[in-house]
Amino acid sequence: MEVIKVCNLEKIYKNGNIEVKALKGVNLTIHQGEFVAIMGASGSGKSTLMNVLGCLDKPSSGNYYLDGEDVSRLRDDELSYIRNRKIGFVFQSFNLIPRTSALKNVELPMVYGRTAKQERRKRAISLLTDVGLGDRYNHMPNEISGGQKQRVAIARALANEPPIILADEPTGNLDSKSSVEIMEIFTDLNRNRGNTVIIVTHEPDIAEFTDRVITFRDGNIIKDELTGRGVASGFYGEVSGK
Amino acid sequence: MMLFLENVNLALTAIKTNKMRSFLTMLGIIIGISSVIAITSIGASAKGAVTAEFEAMGSSYLYIMPNWEMMNTDDFSMNDFFTSEDINALKARFPEMIKYAVPYVSGSSATKVGRTDANLSILGVGANYDDYNKTLLMQSGRMILDSDIRGRKNVIVIQDKMAVRLFGSKDAALKKEVPVTLNGEQTDATVIGVFEEKESAFAGLATSNTYKCYMPYSTVLPAGEEYFNYIEIYCDPDTDIAAQGKSFTGYLENVKGKDEGFYTFESAESQMEMINKVLGILSIAIGAIAAISLLVGGIGIMNIMLVSVTERTREIGIRKSLGARTKDILTQFLIEAMILSVIGGGIGTLFGIGIGKIGMIVAGTQGIHMSLVIEPLTIIIAVLFSAGVGLFFGLFPAKKAAKLDPIEALRFE
Ligand SMILES: Nc1ncnc2c1ncn2[C@@H]1O[C@H](COP(=O)(O)OP(=O)(O)O)[C@@H](O)[C@H]1O
Ligand SMILES: [Mg+2]
Repeated sequence: MEVIKVCNLEKIYKNGNIEVKALKGVNLTIHQGEFVAIMGASGSGKSTLMNVLGCLDKPSSGNYYLDGEDVSRLRDDELSYIRNRKIGFVFQSFNLIPRTSALKNVELPMVYGRTAKQERRKRAISLLTDVGLGDRYNHMPNEISGGQKQRVAIARALANEPPIILADEPTGNLDSKSSVEIMEIFTDLNRNRGNTVIIVTHEPDIAEFTDRVITFRDGNIIKDELTGRGVASGFYGEVSGK
Repeated sequence: MMLFLENVNLALTAIKTNKMRSFLTMLGIIIGISSVIAITSIGASAKGAVTAEFEAMGSSYLYIMPNWEMMNTDDFSMNDFFTSEDINALKARFPEMIKYAVPYVSGSSATKVGRTDANLSILGVGANYDDYNKTLLMQSGRMILDSDIRGRKNVIVIQDKMAVRLFGSKDAALKKEVPVTLNGEQTDATVIGVFEEKESAFAGLATSNTYKCYMPYSTVLPAGEEYFNYIEIYCDPDTDIAAQGKSFTGYLENVKGKDEGFYTFESAESQMEMINKVLGILSIAIGAIAAISLLVGGIGIMNIMLVSVTERTREIGIRKSLGARTKDILTQFLIEAMILSVIGGGIGTLFGIGIGKIGMIVAGTQGIHMSLVIEPLTIIIAVLFSAGVGLFFGLFPAKKAAKLDPIEALRFE
């Protein structure tokens, strides 16, 4: 099933008289259960694409179909619903809410999803336990390490069990040990829970965790190929064509 | 509802993190609400005291007098004033309604007994005045009688406090002489009675060595003089005093050949109306000041909320990326603004009650004794009103926060 399909996606940033074309007609299809890495030099348009996929930003032209639905036609509240239920977004800079405990941060998507308080708390604690922070849930973001922050952010992204996980350079601010741990969490999500996972990275080691690597240059996809893992998984034999 | 409680918690946390700033923001609301509460409760207390005062005096009396505005001061005749005949005519015309009618004349005099001196505020009254004036309680001796009036007797009824001061005790004063100066002539008046004035909120206002006393009106008027300015009338308490006053003045204008409106009257009712009017104007004036400080307070809240929205732009972006709807962000900031002003309103209410209490204590030292009336309705309105101020002035910043674009907000440094 095609969860994500973009056609001729363009994004132009305008700053006064200066126009920057960040995406120059991108075409891309991602199926449910794929584990994809997006690579490319800095400034090649990776984050711009991720923001559009995450319904945080709107393209200048072209179409984005999420689960077959044209996102450009959706109202504000429907976009909020998608961000709340369908997509879990993980940022390079963690984006935890300051002066708010790990637990409260993880509860937040469930607050906006109107989950009852007890249920919310129970689930948040179990999510934090899953990422290895069961004993730290009362800590504030400034009291934990970068790797721990990113785990809280991942737990938060998973709060409402979204089928799609988008992560924009999730290991960009982490040391290599933490990076591997984070990638293991993503791998587990993809392999054992069936999540569609798309991560942006510019480290080939990180990309090696995934099945498929898409490479960007100057707002275009220049390469789209399977990794060793991808070939070995046999996944793409079933999907046919790719 | 769930989100509401969540927002209340969020707001309290935000306020706690910026204690000083929040307090300064609330200051305008605190000042506004506390002045409203202080003024309304002091006003209500004063009103209550005045009403009680008039009720104690009995509200069935009225004074008739010429309307000074209508009089031609260059060319007034003695006929403009009243004589005993006018009183008799009035009594004859309205026998049912008029219980008691006398000339009302007043004067003042210094006096000295031995080495103790005192000031007298002399009221010239008719016979058996104490039957009608309920604030006057005879302690010993007797009140002025008809024979004293007719004989223009040099007799005086003095206040208990003065009796104690000048003669040592109430009973010791009886039959003693008190020197008084009336119409420029010094005479010795004989004490025939001692009275006590009923406890009054305003009793302390009289200066300490000025005492009220009663003498026959005929004695207080200059010899041979028959005209006086006021008639004091006690009516049947069950009648409409205002209507009575109108028919009395109308009748007097008629018999004395004056234009309509030449005479006017004052009753407990009209005096109370006037006092209430003054209190009302005062309340409006101070209410206006309070309104302005609430406005300033509201603008302060708007200002700080705008700062807060800017400071928390990134947080708003994060919330939106996690699925917060425009409405959710709007409520979050609206509730924060409202809680800020409601807390301000609460503190203001407490302050206002405190100020009212202090006001009562200050009035007490000036001899005005009243108890603070706190109307729960006023407090409810004050708190609701401050919530309204928060809502109104919080709306603009909250809207600004709510319509932030998620990605713009996330990029905000
Ligand atoms: N908000 C913005 N305003 C203007 N230009 C931008 C903005 N965001 C990104 N760009 C430009 O768009 C291009 C792609 O940026 P981005 O998607 O962030 O690249 P990447 O994530 O691959 O490093 C770059 O040239 C960048 O300078
Ligand atoms: Mg980037």
